[in-house]
Amino acid sequence: MPQAKIVLKNCGIIDPKDINTYRTKDGFKALDKARGMTAAGVINEIKTSGLRGRGGAGFPCGVKWEGARNSPGDEKYVICNADEGEVGTFKDRYIIQNDPFSLVEGLAIAGYTVGARQGYIYLRAEYSYLLGLLRGAIDQAQEAGYLDGFNIAIRLGAGAYICGEESALMESIEGKRGESRYRPPFPTVAGLWQKPTTINNVETLMNVAQIVLNGGGWYAQMGTERSKGTKVFSVSGDVARPGVYEMVLGSPLRELVEGLAGAKDIKMIQIGGATGRIIPYDMIDTPLAFESYLGAGAITVYNKSRDVLDIVGRTMEFLAEESCGKCTPCRQGMEWMVEVLGRFHRGEGLARDIGYMEVLADTMALSSLCGLGQAAPFAVVDTLKYFRSDYEKGISGK
Amino acid sequence: MGDITLTMNGAAISGREGMTILEVARENGIDIPTLCYLKELTPIGACRLCVVEVEGSRMLVGSCHTPIAPGMVIQTHSPKVLEVRRVLIELMMASHPDSCIVCEAANCCELRMRATDLEVGLPRFRTRLRYFPLEDENSNIIRDMSKCILCRRCVTACYNTEGKKMFSLAYRGFESKVIYDLDKPVGSDETCRDCDTCISLCPTGALRQPIKFGQRKKGPVLYVKG
Ligand SMILES: Cc1cc2nc3c(=O)[nH]c(=O)nc-3n(C[C@H](O)[C@H](O)[C@H](O)COP(=O)(O)O)c2cc1C
Ligand code: SF4
Ligand code: FES
Repeated sequence: MPQAKIVLKNCGIIDPKDINTYRTKDGFKALDKARGMTAAGVINEIKTSGLRGRGGAGFPCGVKWEGARNSPGDEKYVICNADEGEVGTFKDRYIIQNDPFSLVEGLAIAGYTVGARQGYIYLRAEYSYLLGLLRGAIDQAQEAGYLDGFNIAIRLGAGAYICGEESALMESIEGKRGESRYRPPFPTVAGLWQKPTTINNVETLMNVAQIVLNGGGWYAQMGTERSKGTKVFSVSGDVARPGVYEMVLGSPLRELVEGLAGAKDIKMIQIGGATGRIIPYDMIDTPLAFESYLGAGAITVYNKSRDVLDIVGRTMEFLAEESCGKCTPCRQGMEWMVEVLGRFHRGEGLARDIGYMEVLADTMALSSLCGLGQAAPFAVVDTLKYFRSDYEKGISGK
Repeated sequence: MGDITLTMNGAAISGREGMTILEVARENGIDIPTLCYLKELTPIGACRLCVVEVEGSRMLVGSCHTPIAPGMVIQTHSPKVLEVRRVLIELMMASHPDSCIVCEAANCCELRMRATDLEVGLPRFRTRLRYFPLEDENSNIIRDMSKCILCRRCVTACYNTEGKKMFSLAYRGFESKVIYDLDKPVGSDETCRDCDTCISLCPTGALRQPIKFGQRKKGPVLYVKG
């Protein structure tokens, strides 16, 4: 299964500063079409398409929208998550840089469907140089009358990875400390300012206009049983051609990493960034789909010259630094992980700590408040499974 | 009888709409340990000690903030749950000073009590300690943030019951800290009233009253099992 262009269809084709070039590529036709449909009709198309969230968790988009639509209340919100904080992801940046209009259109369709008059785009502070472009796209759409009755505001993050997590993001928009909330209540019931809210990743929303125009059935032809459509991957690390690639879901990892990106001498691949999974080279024929591994589509390739403990240690340092500090397992557990991995890296590890790491990983995965703490131990768990001897070499006296 | 029926530890029980798992459990005499939770306040959900197993959920579920739903099948003391609770206590102790023997709160420390109940011995996890100088200038409160386990009771209680915001949270991850003002020590002329709310709620010895001459230590003697 090859590359395909759905999400990136207009990238490099239109002028991201000029709405007219977007119009010639069917721009805003989907929004017009959606407004001629009932909300239930739009939700039905999205559900039929099988579109799942591209921000990492893979939640069915249609179900999310339906939830917010059916929650009681006149005041509702739709949010676009452009925080793109996951290590090794840069696809949302590429999308906004090249085609901000499709994003605006997707968010406007979400707003119409959910019944929200206000939308937010939460842009990571490091992308503040995209602010002008994004504002320009919103303003042009507004002037052209596409956003009547719907307002889009941009909120800048302040450099915290946790603020990409949906509940912390909402706290941040509300002007509070970026910390996760417990769920339930889910955002579709009580999200931003405790009002029904949907939150979607940039890439998820990029698919929406295409689905509305061409129908959910068309979209559902691509991909696998439980992963429909395409996915945009950010490939980096020890590869000859790093960059953004769009592939039909279910394509083999090998095709992307060795074929398109030209990687050689691979030792292991991290799929999904810091909170993603690590697999050894033997598993390179894994299909890229929600059924196996996907995350937000960060593919970080490490060749044989890389040191496993060094990579895992730095991944854990990142996550420890970015933990919000609210819940015990994540706050305290990450600190211990970092200290212990440092000891193994220096050859001062204790044999019993390997078992303790596994015990702690279980507790973190089972009891942390949000996805950060729940997924944080993956790098340790996976490398303990596939590269255990590297840890054993780190035991003091060996 | 309530209107929502569920199964807890194999027994059919019922509760009313809007109740949390914890409330229903307590009403039925099942003791789920908690640390950050306080009956009168909005749930905090930070310590995670109250987690339980709910059938159909991959993760454990915080019982102090999760409402009951019809047909829920809950295990409050399965081996999996108990092990997680033990690790959580060990993690809280991982950076807690070993000064129990001279700590004012030693005989009424909730962390110690929970550790005893769960039969936690020497913690498997040790991290660096967090040292902060003692804040003892105010005549109503002494703060020793080295002992704080970040349960946030003081932050929530001050706001919810006194309508004040003496404390808030700053920094992140392991560096998180309950701060006063812009991370200043509580000084002698600060506005804190001697309402005692936070002091009486702090589960550890992090907050206490300055001892006045002739005053007795608070709390009953702690009997350690085994
Ligand atoms: C620690 C953490 C960081 C996250 N960062 C992002 C992010 O930068 N961008 C994003 O779209 N989703 C991020 N997510 C996922 C969001 O919580 C949420 O699932 C997503 O925005 C929902 O949109 P989707 O259904 O369209 O994927 C993060 C999740 C966690 C736990
Ligand atoms: S000072 Fe006491 S009450 Fe406040 S967060 Fe720390 S341990 Fe909890
Ligand atoms: S008592 Fe429920 S999370 Fe602390």
